[in-house]
Amino acid sequence: MTVSSFIYGLCAATSAVCAGMLLGAYRRNKYRLLLWSGLCFVGLALNNVILVLDKVILPDVDLSSLRLLVALIAMTVLLYGLIWDVE
Amino acid sequence: MMTSNLSAVLSGAVAMASFATTLFFVRFWRQTSDVFFLLFALAFAIDAVSRAALGLTHVSNEIEPMFYLLRLAMFALIIAAISVKNRSR
Repeated sequence: MTVSSFIYGLCAATSAVCAGMLLGAYRRNKYRLLLWSGLCFVGLALNNVILVLDKVILPDVDLSSLRLLVALIAMTVLLYGLIWDVE
Repeated sequence: MMTSNLSAVLSGAVAMASFATTLFFVRFWRQTSDVFFLLFALAFAIDAVSRAALGLTHVSNEIEPMFYLLRLAMFALIIAAISVKNRSR
């Protein structure tokens, strides 16, 4: 395994841990900001999984637009929560 | 060409969204003095910078993973923020 694929894999793993921790914290204390953050990190984790697919597993296929679109949707979800739903 | 234009637009949009999110968390931090919000602000600021830097540079495949070390730092900060919060309760 190369250093770069290790870094990409670690990004995917840590972002998934973030998503799990945030959604777990939301389940315990129902603070809505944690839900929006958790959903955002689910998207960012997906973004990093597609990054691994793009760079490591399918290097000949360009998935950059797809993974950036997923990241944008993830960030939009969090911004929606921050603007409309944070009490 | 079309794909790279689209990617550039999307990169900029994600960086801007991260920056806006940073400002929200800075505001929450100033209102509450809770380190949790400061760490989140820092994490999204790092994300905004790394995405803008990646979008602006034409990096080789050898250099590019280094930009993702910044992203890794972002996730580490979030994990640290939640861990600190869990321990303080």
